[in-house]
Amino acid sequence: MMAAGLVIFAEYWLMIGGVVALLFLTIGIDRIDEDARGAYIFRPLLVPGVLLIWPLVLWRWYALETGRADETKRYKAVRGAHGLIAVGMALSIAIIIAFGLGIKQTWPDHIAPERLSEAGQ
Amino acid sequence: MSVKYIPVQWNPNKWVYDVFMLAGVAAFLWIFIHVTPEILSHERPINSQVHNARAFGACAFLMLSITLAIGPLAKLDTRFMPLLYNRRHFGVMTAFVATAHAGYILNWYFAFSFVPKWDALILSNTSYGQLLGFPFEALGAFALVILLILAATSHDFWLKFLTAPVWKRLHYLIYAAYIAVVGHISLGILQDQQSLFLPVFFIATAWIVALLHVWAFMAERKKGDPLAVAAGDWMRICQADEIEEGRARIAVLPDGKRVAVFKHEGKLSAISNACAHQNGPLGEGRIIDCLVTCPWHGFQYRVTDGKSPAPFTEKIPTYNLRVENGAVLVDPKANPPGTHVDPVEVA
Amino acid sequence: MADKKDKPFFVGYLTAPDGLRSFLIGIGIGLVLLMAGVGLGIGATQDDPGNGAFRGDYGRQTVTGVMELTPYPVVRVTQGSEHVPEGRTLMLSAGGKQSLMNRVRDLDGQLVTVSGTILDRGELDMLQVRGGQNGIAPAEGDAPEMEREELGRWRIAGEICDGKCLAGAMRPGVGIAHKACANLCLIGDIPPVFVSTQPVEGSEFLLVVGPDGTIFPKSAYDLVAAYISVEGKVVRHGDLLVFHLEPDTAELVQ
Repeated sequence: MMAAGLVIFAEYWLMIGGVVALLFLTIGIDRIDEDARGAYIFRPLLVPGVLLIWPLVLWRWYALETGRADETKRYKAVRGAHGLIAVGMALSIAIIIAFGLGIKQTWPDHIAPERLSEAGQ
Repeated sequence: MSVKYIPVQWNPNKWVYDVFMLAGVAAFLWIFIHVTPEILSHERPINSQVHNARAFGACAFLMLSITLAIGPLAKLDTRFMPLLYNRRHFGVMTAFVATAHAGYILNWYFAFSFVPKWDALILSNTSYGQLLGFPFEALGAFALVILLILAATSHDFWLKFLTAPVWKRLHYLIYAAYIAVVGHISLGILQDQQSLFLPVFFIATAWIVALLHVWAFMAERKKGDPLAVAAGDWMRICQADEIEEGRARIAVLPDGKRVAVFKHEGKLSAISNACAHQNGPLGEGRIIDCLVTCPWHGFQYRVTDGKSPAPFTEKIPTYNLRVENGAVLVDPKANPPGTHVDPVEVA
Repeated sequence: MADKKDKPFFVGYLTAPDGLRSFLIGIGIGLVLLMAGVGLGIGATQDDPGNGAFRGDYGRQTVTGVMELTPYPVVRVTQGSEHVPEGRTLMLSAGGKQSLMNRVRDLDGQLVTVSGTILDRGELDMLQVRGGQNGIAPAEGDAPEMEREELGRWRIAGEICDGKCLAGAMRPGVGIAHKACANLCLIGDIPPVFVSTQPVEGSEFLLVVGPDGTIFPKSAYDLVAAYISVEGKVVRHGDLLVFHLEPDTAELVQ
């Protein structure tokens, strides 16, 4: 069943995330971030994040370990999408609310029951 | 900042911020949950689970709307900048409140069945092909997952680990979440509610958030940072005398990165405009105690080498710079982060 | 975006500049007042969820009558109790959103004793039976013949709900926001009920079955909680009307 499939998928996602969290927060984090060395109290705070976005964690861990990460990209601020987001969000909100109000029904108590055929038929 | 990570870097301003925020949340929930049942004159009360779900759901919507409004407000009026400073706490609290809303719903409407709750959430309503009766819970669940991802990745570690641009892109998901929440409410409770307060409040709030974003974008475009003008291999930024002491001029380089040219003690230095922390606009900051200070979270850098003072270890790229006929020219090739460049005397 | 030189500049870990402090405190107080006001406004203007309820105050009700599978089980009461008069046709449900079908399969047309808690909402009522033999058991004696009266085909307007939440298991127990819950009840064979805009032959609430006297058809789940007009045969079982809903004839009403 589709619903059960989705739930099982979510369970596996989180389970794999748990394994990644265990490895990353005990081994990986010390190797790729000097500020984390000797800092342990904040690590449990990272667990939910790793559970949810573990593929991204694995990708960054790999990139940092192998030196493939292009560190100059750090300084290119993401600003180009502001207009798209502002206008896109405003339009989406306008359309969704218009639809919401458009389909809103009122209790049709003006409609009386209509007999289509005689009793006993 | 660098130095060892700790769970939360508290300071007095954050305390004050959180006290007001939590007071607002507590006031909302306490009044909704404990005061309004006394006011409602229903023959029989609304089930407490539904009453609570509504309290937390409405509170989460209001909080999300406020969190989203802070960004454009700060762009339109810099007096709102301090609200940006600790916005992450507002966002994380919103995720908690939204989770409580989902919990009440899941353990009420989707409980008491032989079908497990999570399965029930997915399979009980499958009318995806219609607007009226659409499974609006799916929109809420989508938004909640995003809120949880953003809350879970709000620690500064994630900024450094993912890099600010990737982190920002990830956190842009908040806009998708807000659109989903507007759909969740429009196709859900808005359909049922007969009294006017909720629809009017909801529509007005969503519209304010939408229009603030459009307004801020238009304002930004009008007075946005200029493109640097090519002058041979170098780029002309502005005239040297246009830069005030302790301030910067920003320009966009051909590769899309921004450079900030600061004047400090009468000499000019060029550094990346993007703060190492969250890519905040350093050029809109000021020099405080001889250090460039980011307007977003106060990260500081020496203007000559782009390094944060010890014990911090952040560093940003610097740019070579010269002044010709009173014009400031910058080499568009950034130096590696932390490279010292001698400041240039204004002729 | 050069700003004026005298504009206050806020640094998070430093004391806020004088010019900004009162502004920020004003914002903070405004935030608390706004949140308090919105909480009050939304909370105090919620719609009335109706007067349906579990009648625990009645105590356990035990009645005897003839079991009829419409296919949803109803009992035509021949021997009533304090709060269930003789002659009433009582809809049944198990606890929660559980199906009762397995427990009544072999009892069609037989005299039974049922026991449990009443839910009621005006003219609508339902018995949530207890578990096992304590809830439903065959009774001594012969089952009398029970009449059914064909009332013809009708087009009626209103809303399909699950009979249990509607009757008071949940307040509110109707509407779009409750649709998924209603569907889940129907998946658990809780009797669906049509709330008619105006009484049909004296009844505002009609038990819904499929067009051929089957359980609620899959194709009709999309119609739950919307305001529709729809056709079907109406059959009287004592004081309860059973509506043989034909999903193909359904139309949304404005």
